[in-house]
Amino acid sequence: MPIIEAKSIVKDFGGMKALNDVTIIVEKGDFFGFFGPNGAGKTTLIRILTGQLEPTTGTVQVLGVDVVKSPMKVKEVIGIVPEVESPPTYLTAHEYLYFVAKVRNLDKVDDRIEEWLSFFDLESKKGTICKDMSKGMRQKLMLASAFMHEPELLFLDEPFINLDPIYQKILRDYLEEYVGKGGTVFMCSHILEIAERLCNRLAIVNLGRVVAQGTKEDLLRNGESLERVFLRTVGGEALRRRS
Amino acid sequence: MLKEEFRTHASYSGQERFLTFPVFVFFLATIFGMTLESMLERMTLTEMAFMTHMSVFVYGLSVGTFGLMGKQYLERRYGRSNFLVAMPYLLPISFRKTFLGIYVRDAIFYVCLLLIPATMGLVLSSWYTGYSLTSIGLFFASIMLTFMVGLSLSFFASVVFIRSVKWFMVVTFAVIAAFVAYGVLGVIGIETIIPSMGLQLSVRPFEADAGMAIVYAAAAVAEVVVLTALSYYLVEIRIGITSRQYEDLLPSYRARVPVLKGLYRTLVAKEFVDLRRSGTIAKMFFSFVLPLLFLSLTVWFVNYGLSIPVGFNSVFYAAMVGFVSTLMYSWLNNIDLVEYYSMLPVTVPQLIRVRMGVFLVLTLGISAFFVIAISAVNGDLELLWLALVVMFVTSLYMVAVTAYLTGLKTNTFLFDTSVLGKFSVMSFLPDVGLTILSFSLVEDWYFAVTGLALVLGSMLITTWILYRGIDAKWSKTAFSD
Repeated sequence: MPIIEAKSIVKDFGGMKALNDVTIIVEKGDFFGFFGPNGAGKTTLIRILTGQLEPTTGTVQVLGVDVVKSPMKVKEVIGIVPEVESPPTYLTAHEYLYFVAKVRNLDKVDDRIEEWLSFFDLESKKGTICKDMSKGMRQKLMLASAFMHEPELLFLDEPFINLDPIYQKILRDYLEEYVGKGGTVFMCSHILEIAERLCNRLAIVNLGRVVAQGTKEDLLRNGESLERVFLRTVGGEALRRRS
Repeated sequence: MLKEEFRTHASYSGQERFLTFPVFVFFLATIFGMTLESMLERMTLTEMAFMTHMSVFVYGLSVGTFGLMGKQYLERRYGRSNFLVAMPYLLPISFRKTFLGIYVRDAIFYVCLLLIPATMGLVLSSWYTGYSLTSIGLFFASIMLTFMVGLSLSFFASVVFIRSVKWFMVVTFAVIAAFVAYGVLGVIGIETIIPSMGLQLSVRPFEADAGMAIVYAAAAVAEVVVLTALSYYLVEIRIGITSRQYEDLLPSYRARVPVLKGLYRTLVAKEFVDLRRSGTIAKMFFSFVLPLLFLSLTVWFVNYGLSIPVGFNSVFYAAMVGFVSTLMYSWLNNIDLVEYYSMLPVTVPQLIRVRMGVFLVLTLGISAFFVIAISAVNGDLELLWLALVVMFVTSLYMVAVTAYLTGLKTNTFLFDTSVLGKFSVMSFLPDVGLTILSFSLVEDWYFAVTGLALVLGSMLITTWILYRGIDAKWSKTAFSD
């Protein structure tokens, strides 16, 4: 049974179709990459799959749960890292993780907090409130808050953004290990080199429609890189305009 | 900036709905103008002018708090909202100029939103009533100056607040002292504080003293210019990364609310941490106390200044305290963005309920203190138990109405005509009922108490219905736009 099954999703924002007949299937253990140019509909799809937004038409099942009917059931068991790092302004790093742990009703709260503060090297900042943090620190905190309940499915919208090269590598290694242990990742990213290395299944969206989908081997035939396939599939017009 | 302000309001209720707000004001003013003659049988034109100018002054005060909000916008600049106030970070323009831009923007936007449609409504009613267009024009000029005095004073106080809370307290107490000197001691006239009130009373239909009118107009303009210049000079943005480490408050705050269990316990504790660290409690306190102080001074003025013996008692005050306390709920919705809740198993109705609970904890202490103080000053302690019941039920009812109608975006939704219309009806009807019945307490105690019990009972039933309806109304709403 697929872990994510989104069928014929349409999302209409007052006449503007952000998504048009999108069907996505993600199996357990997949590292699924969802790519597209700015404004293609990637974040809208993540918001629909995570129960933040209802589709205009179409059905969405995540971990066997109908997301439209029971969005809270889905949010309880998944981890989400949003595109914009926006932790609560007035909580410290420690307090935010404590807050998330209590909202999720987790056990061993102190151990988990220490583990994730240490993982992201935030121990010295645990008493800093979020508004005083740099973008990178906020991003690390959002990642920690999404990982700390050990979800079996992660939705990551630009997870590598604002991270320095060291933490990009640490995160990459963690995600590889996570998938190796049976976890599933649904990721949007513009950093195609990292995505190419991590993902086993890919989909490319343009103007709200999926224009290519399949395994990495299927899409990257003839030794083409993901960047080349991406540019060939959706970048033609923009590149022609530039030249 | 004007376009940004318009789009910010229109983005929630829709452009057409937002634009119906000034139309609503226009028709309301027309009806007011047409019924003015009959109202003058109960009240003098001077009293009416006084009430209008005071209301516009408070309106200006509320608009001018952008000095505080601007800082909050800046602190939220990495969130989903990014306002032009953050321009100095990106473009070669100073914060001072940007804030002056916001000042001019708000002056234009809010005059166009309310004062111009209201004046146009009076102009239309003049075809029926025969009022002089010159008088209406002078009325507009004077209330616009009153609005500007309020706006400038508030702008000044808010930029002082950013620099120093101590000096902000000094400014606040100076303003309160001026109003006490006028309303309680009677040593100065209201035109000393708000010269445009003097302008109003120097021109037709009151007097025709052109010399004094010019003096008052010049004084009002001078007050606006001086306050604005001082604010411009004092504008300061303190933002930037600090290395300050904070004590862990959330676990201890959570431990202090053992009555609540699970999710609600955590959410309530977080709201209190936000309140403390953002410094909102002080802002809330002043935004709550100032209208009540204003109400007290108005009542004092009507009773002693105008020598109209109206039977105001602590039950009447208690109802007013309950109505005003709804301001606190809107403050709770302005502390921080709520986008991060989208990542967690929390719903919008759950957060609304949490804020209603926090509101009740916050207001009941302050409200009860205020009602007890008024009852003691008024010498009617025998009515205190009734006043406290009225205050409690009214506060509960008003927060239920506000939360049900506006959810987590109170300030914005109250500019939606449809929401404002419902809010006005739902607050006006019990307000009138409670006011009339509180005045009847002296003449017919049993009738008044029975009536109050019926009105309060209806309010409690409505509160319950609205509270239960929050789920259905807001469960499909997302935290992010």
